[in-house]
Amino acid sequence: MITWSNFVAQLFNGLALGALLALISSGLTIIYGSLGVLNLAHGAMFTLGGYAGLAAYQATGSFAVAVLAGAAALFGFGVALERLIIRHFYARPHEDQLLVTFGLAIVIVEVVRWAFSSESQSVAAPRLFSGITNMGFMLYPTYRLTVVVICAVALLALFLVLYKTRLGMIVRAGIEDATMVDSLGINVGRVFMVVFGVGAMAAGFAGIINAPIVSLTPDVGEAILVQAFVVVVIGGVGSFPGAVLGGLIAGEIISLTSMVNPAYAYIMLFAVMTLVLMMRPRGLLGVKGRD
Amino acid sequence: MEHHGGKPNFNTNRRALVRAGIGVAGGLVLPGGFAARAFAADHPPIGTWPEGASGSSVFVSIAVPRTGVYAVQGEDELKGWQLAIEHINSGHELIRRISPKTRKGVLGKQLEAIVTDSGAKPNNAVQAHQRAITEKKAILLTGSTSSAVAVATNKFAQREKVLYLAGISGSNDTTGKDCVRYGFRQDFYGETAANAIGPVLVKVFGKNKKAAFMTPDYTYGHTTTKSVNDYLTAKGGWTTVTNQVSPLGALDFSSYLLNVANSGADVLVNVNWGRDAVLSIQQAQKFGILDKMKLVVPYQIPFLAPEVGGNLLAGVYAATDYWWTLEDKFPLAKMFNAEFVKKFGYHPEWGAENAYNSFAHWARMVEEAGSFYPPDVIKAYEKGQTIPSLVGDVRYRPEDHQCVRPVVIVRGKATKDMKNKEDYWEVIDVVPGAPLMQKPDAFGCNPGDYA
Amino acid sequence: MIGRFRVEIVTAACLIAAPFVLPHLGLAPNTVNRILVLGLFGIGFDILFGYTGLLSFGQSALYGTGGFVAAYLLTRAGFAHVVSAIVLGTLVSAVVGYLVGLIALRRTGIYFAMITVAIAEVFFFVEFNPLSAWTGGENGLPGVPTPHFNLGFATLDFSSGWSMYPFLAFWYFVAIVLALRIVRSPVGIVLRAIRENPLRAAAAGHNIHGYKLTAFVTAAAYAGFAGGLLGTMQGFMPPEAFHFDTSGQIVILTAIGGRGTLFGPLVGAAVWLSLEDFLQATLKLGAAWKLVLGLVFVLLVCFLHQGIIGGVRDLYRLLLGRRMPAPAGAAAGASSAANAGTPVALHHVAADYAGPILQATGLTKHYGGVVANEAIEFTVRTGEMRGIIGPNGAGKSTFFKMLTCEVPPTAGRIVFEGRDITGMSVTDVCQFGLTKSYQVNQLFNHLTVRENLRVVVLAELRGKFRLDLFADPARIPGLVERVVHTAALVDLTGRLDTPVSELAYGEKRRLEVGLALASSPSLLLLDEPLAGMSPSERVETVRLLKSIGRGRTMIIIDHDMDSLFELVEHVTVLQEGRVLAEGTPKEIKGNAAVQEAYLGGMNGATHA
Repeated sequence: MITWSNFVAQLFNGLALGALLALISSGLTIIYGSLGVLNLAHGAMFTLGGYAGLAAYQATGSFAVAVLAGAAALFGFGVALERLIIRHFYARPHEDQLLVTFGLAIVIVEVVRWAFSSESQSVAAPRLFSGITNMGFMLYPTYRLTVVVICAVALLALFLVLYKTRLGMIVRAGIEDATMVDSLGINVGRVFMVVFGVGAMAAGFAGIINAPIVSLTPDVGEAILVQAFVVVVIGGVGSFPGAVLGGLIAGEIISLTSMVNPAYAYIMLFAVMTLVLMMRPRGLLGVKGRD
Repeated sequence: MEHHGGKPNFNTNRRALVRAGIGVAGGLVLPGGFAARAFAADHPPIGTWPEGASGSSVFVSIAVPRTGVYAVQGEDELKGWQLAIEHINSGHELIRRISPKTRKGVLGKQLEAIVTDSGAKPNNAVQAHQRAITEKKAILLTGSTSSAVAVATNKFAQREKVLYLAGISGSNDTTGKDCVRYGFRQDFYGETAANAIGPVLVKVFGKNKKAAFMTPDYTYGHTTTKSVNDYLTAKGGWTTVTNQVSPLGALDFSSYLLNVANSGADVLVNVNWGRDAVLSIQQAQKFGILDKMKLVVPYQIPFLAPEVGGNLLAGVYAATDYWWTLEDKFPLAKMFNAEFVKKFGYHPEWGAENAYNSFAHWARMVEEAGSFYPPDVIKAYEKGQTIPSLVGDVRYRPEDHQCVRPVVIVRGKATKDMKNKEDYWEVIDVVPGAPLMQKPDAFGCNPGDYA
Repeated sequence: MIGRFRVEIVTAACLIAAPFVLPHLGLAPNTVNRILVLGLFGIGFDILFGYTGLLSFGQSALYGTGGFVAAYLLTRAGFAHVVSAIVLGTLVSAVVGYLVGLIALRRTGIYFAMITVAIAEVFFFVEFNPLSAWTGGENGLPGVPTPHFNLGFATLDFSSGWSMYPFLAFWYFVAIVLALRIVRSPVGIVLRAIRENPLRAAAAGHNIHGYKLTAFVTAAAYAGFAGGLLGTMQGFMPPEAFHFDTSGQIVILTAIGGRGTLFGPLVGAAVWLSLEDFLQATLKLGAAWKLVLGLVFVLLVCFLHQGIIGGVRDLYRLLLGRRMPAPAGAAAGASSAANAGTPVALHHVAADYAGPILQATGLTKHYGGVVANEAIEFTVRTGEMRGIIGPNGAGKSTFFKMLTCEVPPTAGRIVFEGRDITGMSVTDVCQFGLTKSYQVNQLFNHLTVRENLRVVVLAELRGKFRLDLFADPARIPGLVERVVHTAALVDLTGRLDTPVSELAYGEKRRLEVGLALASSPSLLLLDEPLAGMSPSERVETVRLLKSIGRGRTMIIIDHDMDSLFELVEHVTVLQEGRVLAEGTPKEIKGNAAVQEAYLGGMNGATHA
């Protein structure tokens, strides 16, 4: 079904998919870049953010409150997780970090399932954004457009923090060389806590704003996790611009392949990732220092 | 060696003892071979018979999705089985209308259910049934919402020589190319749905229309899409402009919907099921598709209407196995509804009806056969007698074990037309089953052996 | 004899006793069978992950491949014999594993892991879609027959439940015996070295890529065999075998049981599956069972560093007290004095080459815009003791890295004993007889001194790569002697069986030198061997280096000029990537330009 209008429509939809992926993946990449921890619980955090928002929504009926609640809850959760558990794993081999985050992912998802049941729950988009927008070349759900804008704003905020604040500079320096930052007398422990919190928050925030589009089930985070890792690898581990670029590329790969044969969409993503890795071992914009 | 042919208990214990002791020696004894000499009955043991039928209870293994994409439908059909078991065990009047020889239980034995969560995954279901057979000597298997599970369980049942009643299963293959001697299906399926709803669609929408299909990527999806497509193109001159195949459990249908939106179709035939159907329909509305095209659901999903919400199904045609307002036409349906509402607080969907029917029929067949011996029960089914059900008289075809039963065409009601909370669909037609079905061997059914 | 096969015997005994004991623990026969299959699958994974340190999430692809090939042969292709079908499936799986490994192993760490994830997903997809005519798509392949053997005098029929157990237990036993053999073999030793320190393993002369590929193919073979067993055990080959979850599951099970133990996956599967049954059936937890299991898993990872087996082992040690080091160390100590002087044949590329042993011409290294080394001309005569000094940032370490071919030069040539080695690999260079002792210790930290040295000697005795998976290291002539000899050379004879983590810093430095020595190089480079040492340690080390240097050529970088000048005959001074001066120590001390280079940027005298 390759018509011009279809092509443009899918191109745009890819942007929407990509924006969300970019947001989720930036959280993942800064966690891995700074802490060296492969956060396999990232998808679970996406899910948890969605449900935290749902709980707030059911209590207050306000979507805005839900979004704030989801983000705040996950920031706190991320900080707590880093302090209580992750911190003790920095000295341990990489595999142990992977395993503990893997285990935490299971626990988080199962707690959500136990508390909310397996049935899908819907969160309604705010009335203002719940219609259909006629964009000329296609009709597009207004809310998805809103999500693109929200993601762009969130990414901009993250960019400003990373590149225009002292904390951000420390984080970026830490990504390049954590030992050096430590020996400069900066409290790396606190920085790590904040980074983990921010990374979790990005995932949780994405989880709640995505909820009106696909509705919530405890398994929403599973596919997201793998896609986020693919994006991080394509873009380059530890690189925020890499995550954004990688996210957009991934979104486009998925939607443009869907235009031709939807069944191959996700496989194409993996194929591209492998190709990128073969040609550029550190991803597209990979930062040297983290392997 | 003493022969105690008339006392099953003794032989069961003895055999169990013998088995445990030599089980480790490498299975050098053919399974049951030893026992063949010890048990002087009319038949050699087969499957879990006679062990499973020797106590005061018999076990039924039910593997149903309680989590995952089909969880909601799984819970509903589970209730149908539970009600059927309760009624059979107590000799309820409704059961006796379908199985007149039933007193209390089946052949005097109480039914007990072993329920496991299959998550709609064939592997989980097969493992669960395996356990039930090995540990409890289950004499009946049931459960499926996904046809992949039904097909896998079909093969498993045939290997283990234990009867299997399919739950919800819409694929043509279940009594088609994947049919087995030990498997039976009560509900309607892709071919009958297509042939029932096809004429309605051609009449309502006209000839030479363009259709877009959305298909879940597994056996049920592909066979149903094929059946519907075949009917519409052959009998209505329709063309299929696109077929969007999505993986089971997909969450975001945007890519597929954009393709549909750009396809120029007049009608969207959504074969997706369970949560996939709910999400794809909700998202279709948000992409403006439901304003441009008419939606058709050729294989209705229990609870679709309340889950989708928002009046999206008003005027939508669907084919189904049962809708509770049929009670006006069928007295047994009325009784069933009343009992179900009493026990569970809501009107049953067609998953529950399918479950109840299939168990009632099985109880009848066992009573007719006078024994749990699987080949006898199978032959009882294969007599092809006309028997009652919740929707009138039906019969089972001996060639493929498919029940010949009507297909119900419904149309969604607008919220303003609903007379009560559960009045989602209006019954348009009850189409008799026989003319809707393919010839028994048309889909390559080749059932296996009895033993 | 029995002592050596202790593990095998105990395993056999447990496998035989299991059907009598386990039912009393509430384990159903089908669960036990599944545990065996997963345990077998995990053996190969443990070799890959636990022993070689390669965390692969792609094992499901091989599990499924082996299983589906076997199932296809048995169901659709009319194969009659179950075991041959499974073996064929295993062979296909190994070949596929080889091809997949060629791609995946080109990267390391997270990138390797992600490629394995991609492979798992692609295989699942291919099973589901394009190849569904062969694989049955989402239905899988039903109707897989159970094994049936006609032995002439009896027939063996394995169906389900306990009847299938002996068949599976037999194959598990075979699998574990083979695996034990593999990990005890020289290949196994090298795999462990790769896990500990891949850089050093390569510098020791091992073709680590070849060994990694070997581990990968081994894991693939085990996975494929297990897949075949799964199909016949269930009578049905499920598409779930290819699912990414299956890969994840084997990772979890191995971690729970204990990685690097071979039995870890079996223990992990036993714990996981029986808890699953227990929580669902007995405690009737319903859907919450997975939550409890997840919590158990997290707790296990947090508190037990090597899973359950590791925990049991630690508990055992705690209760019984640490055992004394094996007597073998004492025996070696007695003979150390005698061995210290015994010469061992050195490695040469061309032993009778008459010219300078090393000649670097125009050696240059640029990192982007930074010039690390520029047009260095450097020649060393055979038997010479050469020193290299220079202020910080002079490019000394980079120069060494180029000489050992760890880093390719931007321009220039390196000739070793007349052979152009420019652009070769550090492994090849080591095999030729050129090694380096690192500035920052590159040891195999979880191994003992003896085991550290053994890794290097194995490369020397066996070459870059040898597929001796089933060989017995005790039978390799000269292995023990050379290890002991090298230890004596660096004065570590009394510490042979001490783990590296318990060595003092000075001892670690000596071991570092020992590792470079163990392959009997004819040219030995030493990068700051005296760094971080106290004055008395320095004296000792200088004496050691002098004794090592006999019959060998050595090039030493250091900042301690006093000590260095005692050792070497000739000194090269580098500054800002270039050669500043060359001469005898006396000449260098008096060289004005050198003094300028040092004093010009620093206060203080001779120590830089």
